[in-house]
Amino acid sequence: MWNTIIIEPMTNLLLWIYDVLGHGPHMFGLAIILFTVLIKVITWPLNASQVKGAQAMQELQNDKEWQDIQKKYAKDKEKIAQEQMRIYKERGINPFASCLPTLVQFPIIIGLYQSITHALSATPFDMLKLARAIYPFQNMEGIIPLNSTFLWMDLGRPESIQLLGFGLPTLAIIVALTTYVQSKLTMPTSSNPNDQSAQMTKMMSIYMPLMLGWFALNFASGIAVYFITSNLLGIVQYAATGRANWRNLLPGGDKTNKQQQISKKK
Amino acid sequence: MNAKKMTLFILLALSVLTLSACSGQPLANNWPGLAADTEHAYLSAGSFIYAVDLDSGKEVWRYPEKADKRLFYANPVLTADGQLLIGSTGTEHPFISLDPVTGKEKWTENFTGSKGGWVAPPLVLNDTIYAPNADGFLYVIDMNGKEAADPIKLGGALWSAPSTDGSLLYVTSLDHHFHVINPSEGVSNAPIDLGGAAPSSPVVGSDGVYVGSFASTVESVKSNGAHEVIAKTESWIWGSPILDGETLYYADLDGKIYSLDLASRRQNWDTVQPDGPVVANLLLAGDQIYVATEAGTLVALDRDGNTNWEKTVGGKIYTTPVLSGDLILVAPYQAEFVLAAYDADGKQAWTFVPEKK
Repeated sequence: MWNTIIIEPMTNLLLWIYDVLGHGPHMFGLAIILFTVLIKVITWPLNASQVKGAQAMQELQNDKEWQDIQKKYAKDKEKIAQEQMRIYKERGINPFASCLPTLVQFPIIIGLYQSITHALSATPFDMLKLARAIYPFQNMEGIIPLNSTFLWMDLGRPESIQLLGFGLPTLAIIVALTTYVQSKLTMPTSSNPNDQSAQMTKMMSIYMPLMLGWFALNFASGIAVYFITSNLLGIVQYAATGRANWRNLLPGGDKTNKQQQISKKK
Repeated sequence: MNAKKMTLFILLALSVLTLSACSGQPLANNWPGLAADTEHAYLSAGSFIYAVDLDSGKEVWRYPEKADKRLFYANPVLTADGQLLIGSTGTEHPFISLDPVTGKEKWTENFTGSKGGWVAPPLVLNDTIYAPNADGFLYVIDMNGKEAADPIKLGGALWSAPSTDGSLLYVTSLDHHFHVINPSEGVSNAPIDLGGAAPSSPVVGSDGVYVGSFASTVESVKSNGAHEVIAKTESWIWGSPILDGETLYYADLDGKIYSLDLASRRQNWDTVQPDGPVVANLLLAGDQIYVATEAGTLVALDRDGNTNWEKTVGGKIYTTPVLSGDLILVAPYQAEFVLAAYDADGKQAWTFVPEKK
């Protein structure tokens, strides 16, 4: 079922893009980039709703009524939950709106990783899987095996550039950096010092770059190309909404933002 | 931390685990390999090579004593001077020589000159080892494991053993090319484009060489380089064709078995299709053609395509069955045993399960 719903369509789409591009050197890397753009376009409404949902949830944390409820019913969690639900309903906020797009990303990432591995077919087993994954109407025998070269990389292997005798994992670093930038830009600020969700978001902005950087370090570099493209597109998309929090990128930027919010309240 | 964010965090962590699991799979990148002499079967399965007594089905030796997950051994080959040659297609890829009697290493140093893994077994011709590698080079090694000549750059991954007519070498590549090589000159003639990747060895006949490919065709190549498509199949061809006089047998990944009369270029039968895709080479022994399917079945056909018998071996079979004496040896993948022996009537003689040490 996983193969039918995720792997086979993704693999065939990747191969089709690669074929259309002319299936030469560097073309599979371009195919991954175009594939990522396509995925971003398809998930654009979801991402927009994520941004909107996250923003609404964050604004709630700074809302006086919300904070009063937390204080008033501090010892009655059930009542807090009821009141929270009431506020969600009254203000038309879907508390899960910010989660769904993130969840959608997971099967895409896993599927893409497996599709890239299948498509590159570095081993006999992968080649067999690929043979099964290709739709009958696609005539792909002429383009298989794929040319896995992209710029200086072999997309089927983890990437590094030899520098003074050491393998510098440039892609992993770029993945970590772009993930960090994206999460910082999209991280809303909260003036509420007890806001656990803001703390959680802050933690995520540290862990996510490390985690994705680790992926890029250890997995086929094709997946790193996906991460970088996806992050850059995410940054552009967020910047286009006018909500990008550029100050967060500066040291102490989030503190400045908080102070500004507190001043505004006063 | 509220419940929603906690759920998100857990899901994220689970996804990390899932992705890790994808890459953390052991080096199961190739199926078992099999060779045999009159006394022993030599089976490569994962990080081990086993010698199995053909009479009893018991282990004689294994190499190495402890598994090294960086190594994943490809198909072994026995040489006339008493060596068992085998390369690794794991993350480490030494090419080694073992003593078939004792299982001890024969060379003082393994050959480690390749950039890629060894998926295919080598060919030995005139005391020289021609070893095809996934890095696209054909390595030329002497019988002591030293480089005898510069490797021959062919391009594309080489997943099949070279074939020879005694003087020329015929090598297929995944980059769709078929190469004719004169070993004395060490150079390749202009390669022939097969239109699809070729993961199996060509078969050499008196009137040319026959090779199947992912182009779903069988091509005939003459020694002068002239070539033509002599048959088409419904799916990709993975295994090598076999030649029986004027008849060429081959199979495709749809599981169809073909019998081509080379003189008339006509198929001898309409549809013979056992229960699954056929990746392994067919085996001709006595009056029977043995077909091992991915569905884990061993089928014995007569020359007219009639099924004499079929046996469920179990697991999946990708490894070409091997004949030794009266026994047909089969090495299934993911079965309850790693090796089984059958007689010509399909009666199972023994199965081999490695002891855990």
